[in-house]
Amino acid sequence: MRQSNIGWLFLTPATLILFVVGFIPFIYILYVGFFDWNTNAVDPTLRWAGLQNYRNLVFDTTFLNSLARTLVFAFFVVVSELLLGYVLARALMADRLWGRQFFRTIHTLPIVVAPIAVGATWRLLCVPGFGIVPYYLKLWFGIDYNISTNAYHAFGTAIIMDLWHWTPFVTLSLMAGLTALPKEPLEQAQIDGGNKLQIFWYVIVPMLKPVLLTTVFIRLMDALRSVDEIWMLTKGGPAEATRFIGLHIWINVFPKTDYGYGAAMSLLTLYVTIVLSWLLFVAMTGRKGGAQ
Amino acid sequence: MAGIQPQKPERDGFLPIRTNGFDRGFISAVILILVHLLWMRFLEGVLPLWVATVLCLALSVFIIRKG
Amino acid sequence: MRRSGIASFVLWICLTILTLLPVWWMLVVSMRPRVKLYSKSVLIDNLYWDNFLAVLNSSTFLQYLWNSMVVATSNAALVCALGLLAAFGLSRYKISGGDNVFFWLITNRMAPPAVFLLPLFLLFTKWFVFGDFMLFDTKIGLILLYCVFNLPFAIWLLKGMLDGIPLELDEAARVDGATTGQVLSHVILPLARPGLAVTFILTWIFAWNEYLFAATLTSSADARTVTTALAEYVSVTGTNWGEMAAMAFLTTLPALVVLGFVQKHIVTGLTFGALKG
Repeated sequence: MRQSNIGWLFLTPATLILFVVGFIPFIYILYVGFFDWNTNAVDPTLRWAGLQNYRNLVFDTTFLNSLARTLVFAFFVVVSELLLGYVLARALMADRLWGRQFFRTIHTLPIVVAPIAVGATWRLLCVPGFGIVPYYLKLWFGIDYNISTNAYHAFGTAIIMDLWHWTPFVTLSLMAGLTALPKEPLEQAQIDGGNKLQIFWYVIVPMLKPVLLTTVFIRLMDALRSVDEIWMLTKGGPAEATRFIGLHIWINVFPKTDYGYGAAMSLLTLYVTIVLSWLLFVAMTGRKGGAQ
Repeated sequence: MAGIQPQKPERDGFLPIRTNGFDRGFISAVILILVHLLWMRFLEGVLPLWVATVLCLALSVFIIRKG
Repeated sequence: MRRSGIASFVLWICLTILTLLPVWWMLVVSMRPRVKLYSKSVLIDNLYWDNFLAVLNSSTFLQYLWNSMVVATSNAALVCALGLLAAFGLSRYKISGGDNVFFWLITNRMAPPAVFLLPLFLLFTKWFVFGDFMLFDTKIGLILLYCVFNLPFAIWLLKGMLDGIPLELDEAARVDGATTGQVLSHVILPLARPGLAVTFILTWIFAWNEYLFAATLTSSADARTVTTALAEYVSVTGTNWGEMAAMAFLTTLPALVVLGFVQKHIVTGLTFGALKG
């Protein structure tokens, strides 16, 4: 390791570009959030509004519902992907397996497919009257499945689509984590006569904790910001059943050109995201108080 | 991510985690914003908003000093 | 172990079918003529290419395709160059405040794009305007913008790879009188080439896949990308499913092509190097 000042020199170009496209917008939106600004209004200039935008925001039930819906969606998605991913990772860990590399490659596919194409594909699968999913559900199980009228079906489909899209990532990262685990504690626990559940909870989970938290962190942040797929699948409907927060901001701010209010919406969303990510980050770096 | 060791001076205060100066400032700001939002939603009809500001600033000083 | 091997194999097969089913259905639909569209069979009946031809004969779509190529390629090249420098700095020097840089970079990658749509839209239309030139609706705007999520990704992928190059090689070159620039170009660069290739492909794919910024920050055929073409297509022509599927398949194609090369590195990159795939 060499002295630090030259090191910064190498970081400068990257930092500079991220400053312009990442940090300046943040400062700017912070500023705009305190103003009443609508370019299509009678007075298209910025007028100081103080906290009025935020005052309106905390009473805006559409916005708050959308935020809550996003959190519910993220919760369902992250928990089920984690459980599913863990079970699959354990089941797929057989040491010698014919075609292992091939299967892994196929499994990686959803991660690199464009979200917008994922949405289009699932729309082709699920759209009433055309897709095979409603057709065969009706034919085999007699279920009237309709994502454009039934809110629960739409919400459920959004979750399943996300499972298809991201469970492989969770599986692969947990597999990587499990492979890297030291063998001795596991063997020791088996010798000591622990049952499977005990071994899982007291040996595997603590050792796997950094991996689990990292995966949760990445999945949670992604789930909170998913827009493209949902937009293609349901356009946020029926009514507002799948209008998650990113989509809400996107389809509200630009047609209405109510920029001050849009800034407040964006900032509150960012606030929620940052608080959640900070909590997870603290958990990840494992800064426990007390004994230390 | 597990390999990152925090380098700044940290200490145990009344907060449940070890914190450095940045963390305490951050926690204060988060609480300040949260209280203001909730205040505007539920309490502003009864008490003006500056009460929240004063309370939060007092709490911030306490957290930054003792947290 | 034998039995678990077979069970594992069967499970893999089932998962593979589940994973491929949506993509397969997309391909099936794209190869159906209009009269057969509402058939519910999941097999390709015959090879019918008219949907693809119709899409590829549309000059607008070709323009969008070209835009996507330019944006993705330039962005990937920019990100690789800057990412290599930054990764070299982070890997070879002790940087004070490295922690904070790390957290800040994560924030950039993880921030919800919808939050930054509005400020970027305003900045692009009102502030980053130089004479007649406006960053809004240009490829350059998108190229710069995609650094927000691609650059942190590239830095972490490349840092992991540079950390794997022994420091002794640098030192040996320095003893022979090489400057820092020569170390970078003659020692690090040749050894980092495979890593750079992977980083380039992955960032290229992510730039290609991006939709939200492209849809908001462009307005004409000058800069719109294929993902926006797909979205527009759905809203314009409600039920021309065959062509829509063909377009979706063309959008997915690059990902399918490069999958084999990058599969090992995706997990590492997405988890900021916390996990080796």
